[in-house]
Amino acid sequence: MSWMNIELILLITLPALTAVLMYFSRDFNQRVRNFLAVSGAGAELYLIVSLFIYNFDQVKNSNFFLQYTIGYQDTPFVINFAMDNLSLLFSLIVTGAVFLIVIFSTQYIKDKENRYFGLFFLVLASIQGTILTADLFTLYLFIEAITIFTTPLISFKKTEETTRAAMQYLFYGITGGVFFFISIILIYFNLGTLKMAAVAESFALISTPMQLTIIIFFLLALLIKLGIFPIHFWLPRAHSACPAPISALLSGVLLKVYLYIFMRLFWTMIAFDFLVELHLSAFVLDLALVSSLIGHVFALQADNLKKMLAYSSIGHIGMILAVLMLNTEAAFYGGMLHIIAHLMMKSGLFLSSGYLLQTTLSHHIDDLKGIGHKNRLVFIAFITVCLGTIGMPPLIGFVSKWYVLLAFLKARHFFGAFVVAAGSIIALIYYLRYISQAYETVKSESPSLKEELISLKAFFKSTNTMKSVIYTFTLLIIFFGLGYQLFEIPVNTAIFELLNPQKYIELVLGG
Amino acid sequence: MFNNLIFIILFMLGFYALIMKTNLIKNVIGLNLMEAAVFFWVIAFSDIGGEVAIHKMGEEVTKFNDPVPQALTLTGIVIGASTAALLLTLIIELNKFSGTIDRDQLEGLND
Amino acid sequence: MNKLMKKIMISVVLTGVAFALYQNFSLMPEYQGLNEGLSNYIIKSGLNDTGSLNLITAVLYDYRAFDSLGESTVIFGAVSGIVLILSRKMLPVSSKGLSFIVKRALGIMTPFIALFGFYVITHGHLTPGGGFQGGVILAAISIIFSIVYGSAFDYRRYSPQTKTLFETGGALTFLGLGLAGILMEGAFLQNLGFLTAETGTLISAGSIPYINIGVGFKVGAGLAIIFYSMIQKTFEEDF
Repeated sequence: MSWMNIELILLITLPALTAVLMYFSRDFNQRVRNFLAVSGAGAELYLIVSLFIYNFDQVKNSNFFLQYTIGYQDTPFVINFAMDNLSLLFSLIVTGAVFLIVIFSTQYIKDKENRYFGLFFLVLASIQGTILTADLFTLYLFIEAITIFTTPLISFKKTEETTRAAMQYLFYGITGGVFFFISIILIYFNLGTLKMAAVAESFALISTPMQLTIIIFFLLALLIKLGIFPIHFWLPRAHSACPAPISALLSGVLLKVYLYIFMRLFWTMIAFDFLVELHLSAFVLDLALVSSLIGHVFALQADNLKKMLAYSSIGHIGMILAVLMLNTEAAFYGGMLHIIAHLMMKSGLFLSSGYLLQTTLSHHIDDLKGIGHKNRLVFIAFITVCLGTIGMPPLIGFVSKWYVLLAFLKARHFFGAFVVAAGSIIALIYYLRYISQAYETVKSESPSLKEELISLKAFFKSTNTMKSVIYTFTLLIIFFGLGYQLFEIPVNTAIFELLNPQKYIELVLGG
Repeated sequence: MFNNLIFIILFMLGFYALIMKTNLIKNVIGLNLMEAAVFFWVIAFSDIGGEVAIHKMGEEVTKFNDPVPQALTLTGIVIGASTAALLLTLIIELNKFSGTIDRDQLEGLND
Repeated sequence: MNKLMKKIMISVVLTGVAFALYQNFSLMPEYQGLNEGLSNYIIKSGLNDTGSLNLITAVLYDYRAFDSLGESTVIFGAVSGIVLILSRKMLPVSSKGLSFIVKRALGIMTPFIALFGFYVITHGHLTPGGGFQGGVILAAISIIFSIVYGSAFDYRRYSPQTKTLFETGGALTFLGLGLAGILMEGAFLQNLGFLTAETGTLISAGSIPYINIGVGFKVGAGLAIIFYSMIQKTFEEDF
């Protein structure tokens, strides 16, 4: 029976159970707690990877579909969880990144780990729920849950700045949530259903002004959450105030989850034609491009390393959103690849910024003087990832940016192509600013790079968990830059899923 | 129609308080007012003049109001309460650091 | 002057948006929820399916039980976060409370308030009410105690650890009933059939009353924890 895929529920409840366990782990041994955290995230990763491998044939033929129904089987009123190729791809990359971030934080976080990991795993559970659910109200619940659970994590350091950032984040997040709720309730009042698939079938029956209202409220909610230009200023503060693993989670993972929601809503549930018909897609496209440009320009004047990275996130997210709005197959290919690339690169950058902070006073540019001499290998990894973000050839950032550029050129949207190119050049400038500062001459007594590299013993001696996570991200970026064809099957099938929502709708409604 | 009018007025008042007032507590009140307006509207709009959706023993009721929006509203209220508590907590914490809850005096919050 | 201009501009914009929204909403058709089958179905067969007289409770804890689980997880996370943000190792001791008369009167009233809270919780499937509503009443007792008897009263009797235990116990009751649904009925959070009794009695409607009790304790303890975390700051100054 197709409604009996218990894995989907396990994907959500497993992190939640881990969270409850972590919550009570205050008196545990440090090692036991770390083991629990890593094994909790590892079990999640194992589950999703095994799902991918066992169903590989179906994924390849893009008829992969898992479904789980909560409630009475043959009634119209149930909560569905569905997993198709798109959800599988996002679930896979998100879980992989979160697993690495958890390993990093076992060593990075030094006090109140029980509460930290409890909230962290609750966020993971909500992310999985957001990706898997096929019900609008459950989606709302999970989005709000993500906002509520991440807020204490942002103010984890408990300084004035972090408290402010968390408060602003919560204000904006909840305002977006209220807009989302209005939209959902309008859909329920007009159509009498909350299932995304059922809404997709009958959305055309709603009168046009009401359609416009619904779409505008959805757009407002999602643009706030994504940090697109007019409402973006909460993002750099929130993303730079928190501990490094949380920055990686927010900037690397959560923004992608919101992009996933965007795709689910505007391609699967509300057909994209409605956006085109109401002239909203061109508007969002231009807004996203302007936001991308502004994000890069603001990154140029940011004097704080993490703030710079956060502004650069705004630039990249704007670019991805813009390219998705083109609604062509090439655009989706570029957009999806860049989602994966940006997930890896931003997580790697934020994690290494967190590691670098240990040897400096702050992330301010003046304090970073000579940091390249102190942590040679980590900083080389940092530079490699930076180059990937700019778009240097052998790295994955280049591949994805190239496809994005091609998509813009193919659609004859030259402003978009200009923004992509200009973004890369501006990014080169602001990264160089930091890199040159880092190699400002300070006489150092640490062994030279050559010694460190040649002597493997010294290398392994100096390596710890945090460093190895950063190296893993760097190696992944290089590896996938060379072998980006590995993503061809999952990405293409996910795009197929996006462009043919009919299958999803039929399967969900068919139960 | 009257429901819609009250909903929109309350919602806009809440939104005004959220973006224009400088007192952070007033902002929280504005946010809660927005939420309350939406919840009020949900309940009022789904009222089609029937009974509350609770069966009574030994009585046959012919016309019920829709129970689903009420259940959704209950969930929404709980989320709203959690966020309000979290926001107030952060304001308490901020007051401890800077001794004020006025947005104008907290630099960098008002842009 | 600049500020006034800003205020006027925002007001004008908001009025415009409000007007547009009103125009839009006035075009809305009559209420669709009941015509489209979904809620009609619940009204028709909700009693048969769940055995709960209160259909709203049936929606909350049976049809959409997953939402309620997520919702109580939200409270759990919010409480955890608030304790994380406000964690100070201060015993909240300050006021001695109100006068003797108020204390005596409240001493007589408290059992009845508690009884009412438990009534609302346990009769969630029969009459208006349920776990959330009753839990709030229980939390109110704790708050009244801190006002009337002084803030240390409640703290000494029910320490935060006890409250946390209640809270997690409630959450785990809910989750455990959900997992029991997998084992016994074959689906997560399915109503447990063997618990069903004659409709209208106190212990009927499958697992709904037990979920109600779990949620009630959870919400009551959670809100009390939030309140006591928040008032700690005040007492730090009083020392």
